[in-house]
Amino acid sequence: MAATTPRTLASTVASHRSRNGRFRIPVKALPFLAPVHALVLGVIVIPALYVVWLSLTTSTFGKAPSFVGLANYVHSLGDPYFWRAMRNTVVIVLIVVHVELIAGLAMALLFASGLPARRWLLAAVLAPYAVSEVSAAVIWRFLFDADVGPVTVALNALGLPSLEWSVVPAHGLLIIALLSMWLHLPFTFIILYAARLAIPTHLYEAAKMDATSSLQTFRYITLPLLMPAILVAMLFRYIFAFRLFSEVWLMTQGGPARATEVLAVYLYLDAFRFSAFGAAAATGWLMVIVSLILGVGYLWGLRRQMMGDAA
Amino acid sequence: MRPKRVVVGAGKAVAVALVLLWSLVPIAFIVVSSFKPSADIFAVPPRITFSPTMQHFADLWTQWRGFFTGLLNSAIVTAGATLVAVVASTMAGYAYSRFRGGAMAGTAVFLVAVRLLPPIVITLPLFPMVNSLRLNDTHLVLILLYSTFFVSLGTLLMRTFIDQIPRELDEAALVDGGSRLTILRRVIMPLSSQGMLAVAVFVIVFAWNEFLFAFIFTSTRAKTAPLFIAEMMGSLDAFDWGVLFAASTVQLLPIMLFVLLTQRHLVAGLTGGAIKG
Repeated sequence: MAATTPRTLASTVASHRSRNGRFRIPVKALPFLAPVHALVLGVIVIPALYVVWLSLTTSTFGKAPSFVGLANYVHSLGDPYFWRAMRNTVVIVLIVVHVELIAGLAMALLFASGLPARRWLLAAVLAPYAVSEVSAAVIWRFLFDADVGPVTVALNALGLPSLEWSVVPAHGLLIIALLSMWLHLPFTFIILYAARLAIPTHLYEAAKMDATSSLQTFRYITLPLLMPAILVAMLFRYIFAFRLFSEVWLMTQGGPARATEVLAVYLYLDAFRFSAFGAAAATGWLMVIVSLILGVGYLWGLRRQMMGDAA
Repeated sequence: MRPKRVVVGAGKAVAVALVLLWSLVPIAFIVVSSFKPSADIFAVPPRITFSPTMQHFADLWTQWRGFFTGLLNSAIVTAGATLVAVVASTMAGYAYSRFRGGAMAGTAVFLVAVRLLPPIVITLPLFPMVNSLRLNDTHLVLILLYSTFFVSLGTLLMRTFIDQIPRELDEAALVDGGSRLTILRRVIMPLSSQGMLAVAVFVIVFAWNEFLFAFIFTSTRAKTAPLFIAEMMGSLDAFDWGVLFAASTVQLLPIMLFVLLTQRHLVAGLTGGAIKG
């Protein structure tokens, strides 16, 4: 989870290309690279490849797997619960990522406009980053509790309907989205804030001398220069929001009647409750593919749109 | 000009209040409520003055003794994962900073690319593997998982920090006959302690709070604190908000203070040093 990643990565590739075209790892570097790569290969890569094999077999924990071809994929793709989980995931991702970007951007501009006690306010805004998903779920369950929750009581006092999140599926999805935004807004905010501070002040001074309106300044200076950071934040949040598990599990467990399940919960139930590892593995690969298409496809479109604007 | 300025100032004040209401008040709510007598927790409107009590913490100690073992497990796992991740990331960061070439760049991209896999997908094959290695419900399995999921970021972060150390320093040490490992220990590590701290902060926050892996891979011996809180939430019939708040407060306050104290490093890590203070 860091904004530095894509940038440093790009510079890594660039500097290496320009210096040296040979494709060989220096022997002296090997011992230093070994621990990191051993961990990544052993814990992520080899298991991930094993998932491919699993997805082509029927395998229950403790039994020898037997090859079934693409039957697991066919099964998942034909399962209405799979599609409901997919729909819920996409809805939550779209809401969470976009609301976070807008709120994060507004907060970044607010902080950049100069605030007293900026350090303390920054600490306050970052606070939810330190809160675990579990503690956050305790907080939100209490605030929105149907009987005693302060938010419920306040809404009722104002004559407004409260969220019946444990009964009405749409409300359940909404509270999951709220919880998820609360936990991750600090990340989105800090990326955008850092990018906003990196915009040279003289651009704004020049705009002031030209008597540009603040809306124009935003449209023609701030927004275009923030675009790379917005895209980075968006990509990261797409990828991470798509894996959403704990928030759902701790709030609704996918209920009532499996109506608020997301893909990760669907996969978990398949594997660890129904012991269908093959089917779960197929779901896992479908998840990987969709998350890649969603993230990359969306960014590609945005980039083209931006280039169209600039031309 | 002046009325406009007042309006802008008022607008900003409202915005700041909203931001604080959103990010701080929910946390303050449970921390404060954990010290309230049970009757006051549900008072409408919320009571700001009350006679603080340690009753819920005492109940937590007597009814959920296991939770404190959970805290210890969390601490062990967090310490282990941090050590492994920081050492491994520093070594690899050093290599990526000092050695160049297409293959080096390629493996760096690979390190990041594997992080695109959703963690829950990895649990499927790992679960039987961990079981057959008899690592189920051990601190070790969580330490390996947590550190692995941070070495990609850690390596890139350390590379950025080590890049700022002049190469002349290690070249001089090489000429003096030092081995690369000695250089890493004597020259690089002391000078990149800022970066190591930034990596450590990320891993500590992640490992202390993590739910999914702990949920799948631990059951009793290595069960971490977040799992106990989830269990308390699950035992709905005996729903005691006071004890639940006390447990959340105990789990949350140390890491919160830690983040507050190390905020600068966290922000520097996230933004590549773009924000100071």
